[in-house]
Amino acid sequence: MARVKISEYRAKKILLGDSYKGILVRTEEKQKMPKGGTWVAKVDQGVKKRFKQGLVAVGVTPAQAAKKFALWQKEGFSQFLLEPLVPHKSEEEQYLSLDRVREGIRVLHAGEGGIDIETHPEKVGTYTIANDEDLAIVSSATNIPQTFLRHVLEVFDKNFFAFLEINPLVIQGGKAHLLDAACLVDSAGEFFVTSWGQDDIVKSRAAHESEARVEELQNTTPASLKLSVINPNGSLFFLLSGGGGSIVIADEAELEGAGKLIGNYGEYSGGPTRQETYLYAKEVIALMLKSNAKKKALVIAGGVANFTDVQKTFAGIIDALSEFAPKLREQKVKVFVRRGGPNEKAGLELMCAFLDREKLFGSIHGSDDVITSAVADAIKFAV
Amino acid sequence: MNFIDATRKGKEGILVLGNHPQIVQSILDFDFVCGKREPSVVAVIGGARRAQKFFFGPSELLIPCFADVSKVPQGLRGKIFWMLNVQSGRRSFDSTVSFFETFPHALGGHLFAENIPERHSTELIRRFGATKLLAGPSGVGFLVPGYLKLGAIGGTDAAMLEASKLATEGTIAVVSTSGGMTNELIRAVANAGKRLSFAISIGGDRFPVTSLSEVLLLAQSDSKTKAIVYFGELGGVDEYEIVELIEKKKLTKPVLAYVAGIIDEAFDEHMQFGHAKALVARPSESARAKRDALRKAGALAPETFPEFLARMKKLPGTTVRDMALPMDALQKRRASVLSTRQVVDLDETPIFVKAKKLVSQKEGFATKIFESLLDRKLRSPSTAGFAEAVFGLLIDHGGEVSGAVNTMISARAGRDLVSSLASGLLTIGPRFGGAVNAAAGQWLDGVCGAESAAEFVEKRTKGGNLLAGIGHRKYRVGIPDPRVAALADFATLLKQHPYYDFAREVEKVTTAKNGSLILNVDGVMAALALDIFAQCEQLSQDELRELVTTEFFNALFVIPRTVGFIAHFMEQKKNDEGLFRLPEELLFVRRKKK
Repeated sequence: MARVKISEYRAKKILLGDSYKGILVRTEEKQKMPKGGTWVAKVDQGVKKRFKQGLVAVGVTPAQAAKKFALWQKEGFSQFLLEPLVPHKSEEEQYLSLDRVREGIRVLHAGEGGIDIETHPEKVGTYTIANDEDLAIVSSATNIPQTFLRHVLEVFDKNFFAFLEINPLVIQGGKAHLLDAACLVDSAGEFFVTSWGQDDIVKSRAAHESEARVEELQNTTPASLKLSVINPNGSLFFLLSGGGGSIVIADEAELEGAGKLIGNYGEYSGGPTRQETYLYAKEVIALMLKSNAKKKALVIAGGVANFTDVQKTFAGIIDALSEFAPKLREQKVKVFVRRGGPNEKAGLELMCAFLDREKLFGSIHGSDDVITSAVADAIKFAV
Repeated sequence: MNFIDATRKGKEGILVLGNHPQIVQSILDFDFVCGKREPSVVAVIGGARRAQKFFFGPSELLIPCFADVSKVPQGLRGKIFWMLNVQSGRRSFDSTVSFFETFPHALGGHLFAENIPERHSTELIRRFGATKLLAGPSGVGFLVPGYLKLGAIGGTDAAMLEASKLATEGTIAVVSTSGGMTNELIRAVANAGKRLSFAISIGGDRFPVTSLSEVLLLAQSDSKTKAIVYFGELGGVDEYEIVELIEKKKLTKPVLAYVAGIIDEAFDEHMQFGHAKALVARPSESARAKRDALRKAGALAPETFPEFLARMKKLPGTTVRDMALPMDALQKRRASVLSTRQVVDLDETPIFVKAKKLVSQKEGFATKIFESLLDRKLRSPSTAGFAEAVFGLLIDHGGEVSGAVNTMISARAGRDLVSSLASGLLTIGPRFGGAVNAAAGQWLDGVCGAESAAEFVEKRTKGGNLLAGIGHRKYRVGIPDPRVAALADFATLLKQHPYYDFAREVEKVTTAKNGSLILNVDGVMAALALDIFAQCEQLSQDELRELVTTEFFNALFVIPRTVGFIAHFMEQKKNDEGLFRLPEELLFVRRKKK
């Protein structure tokens, strides 16, 4: 469903096959280092602008590389790449990227390597390839050998790649060297390929522990569960439903100038079960309880659902709220609700009775009220 | 003619690919409240079943199921114009391609799955983008009020049909990438006092098959649409398509847009939101940049959602005339647990004897059976007529009875004809179907003995015992059982009928206690069989006693009812609704003590 990064090692292995001599080094696995030679060592975890951050070492011996790896490991990295150095002149460097677009595959090319294409659009040629004819045109316009370009396009398409950036690309005597490569694959393609898998997907950002737990939960259900921590000491905590509706509700807080108060963003959708909703809600509530803000509001809100059962998901949220009810009262948390959809009436009644009984009641709105009603109430309460 | 006008002209038939009963039911509810005579869902593809049961209004019906699109019979093919693909992302591509290969004249469809690979989406665009209307991948589908509900769009709870006024045609087109917000906007339009011309959820994927531009041009060319309400998000460049269409004057109807994603500014780096596309990759993809571009082109793009809703009220509309929807018919309905057909018409009253003469003199299979079991040629046409009458009456007594239920449950568990039939036959005994034999024994005792009917009843019912052949759930004194009356006419063919007389005497006693304790079909059948055998076939009392002990009268039930059970068996195999399981709420469970 989303585009995800795979390791540079895997991308190059898929593109070049056995001719690729790079070595993947992982801290948790033993890896035999080569005896001699001159190498390039780098962090292989989808980090942007590695060179500037000092995460690439060029022209090193295996021993020097091992030292670098140990150093980077201390910085929190765990996956590295060791590649034979390709001696070349800087004017041999080029830029090439492929992006899957509606009409085919969009190719960006520049005769200069190592450039930031965003800042130098004038140096970049843009082409879209949908057939062989296009391919020939691009090949002659860029001077990239047709066989190589065709090979890259085929591999890209067949392996469900979504984006590939080779920067720099060096072509010497008809042989292409991919000095640096970044690759996004389409995670929905995983079922159809054997060339890459979960093990090759890199996560560049170390998630907050709550985020990590929700991610784990997400992996076990067809429903959608997402959580991002914005401000651990925020006042407004969101238990939102729906990919689009959740943004509208969060927008309202930002637009009303309460952006600084937002503790988290997240959403559940796609009909999670009562149990899944319970586990998800628990993470958000726990996060809120840890915030040191003086006034705290929980916003349980969403649009008019198409098929997510309001009663069922609210039962799951109530399960989680019950578990923390004394602490929530202690911290004087109030709960603000807006929701519509299947079994709306029963769900809202259930929630209303519960919040009343537990003295957590902030406000409750159904589908006749505006989607932003609950968050508006919560802002008034928290500010 | 565009897709929407074609739909309004009756091209409404849907083929559902995959299993999502909740969505299918919501479509049938929509069809029903819109006043359609038959559901728009023509058939369902997938699963091992041959049919699936749904409500159409207050009653149920079976929608045929097929293993794949090629199995849809010719007779149904002409009705299919739309595909609703609710299969997983892994299967959606292949099944969509084969749908359009089989139904090249179909108008389009909806792909529900959220995880369809980009590579498949772009290939679908290449093949069908120019000629079909395809909502998705992902999202909730496509809706034309009063005519077509293709997907979860508008909700899956019957109450939402009324709240969102989905049966009434209007002037506002709702277009959204987000499925949830499509429904939110549908409701918002109703709350603003407007009605929809159509609504479509394009889907939050990177490559929707039918693009935003194509949908907007559809709205532009649609005769009913007067304004467009649009919901978009940060990420992607779709909104620039709107800008371009407005600037090139290809889109002249007013556009009211809300582009969500200002919240992204609260993060240190751009965040991936719920939908695949919802990530700002370039500055131009931010919510703010897209709002500004829309405003510059002349579209309305309010800053906050409440402002957006307020502006909606000012969009052009027409006088709204909502039909009163038959919502009562959708309430409190309970799904049946088994389905079968009517084997014989139980309400039809047969006539066997008229003016002391047999109506039919034909001797048939029943006569042959009587002769085989009694080991003699029948002497009297009255006996033959009685045999035919009894067998006809006993073929079936509805699918609700124990034996039929057991037969059906076995059939649905995948058992063969003989096994399923055996399970039904093995149910026959003292409480089910065994009453004819018991009643025959009882009337024989009564006539041979010296007791009065009153004494007989008194003695037999001591300790709460029931009399065989007496009592009915529905009929009572004053409301006679027409089948009993029809059989009783056989008595007019006889000079004497002591068994029948005794049974009627007993009935007088029992009905004096309770009006529903009347002589029933089993009882009258047993009594008249004894009379006919005694008088027309000259069987002695000993010979009659032997018929009771050798269970001849049970055979009288088992033979015709076998036919009924087989009919219920065949019906199960034909529909093949899958393994039967009793719904939890229909079973009382005494909990273990803890």
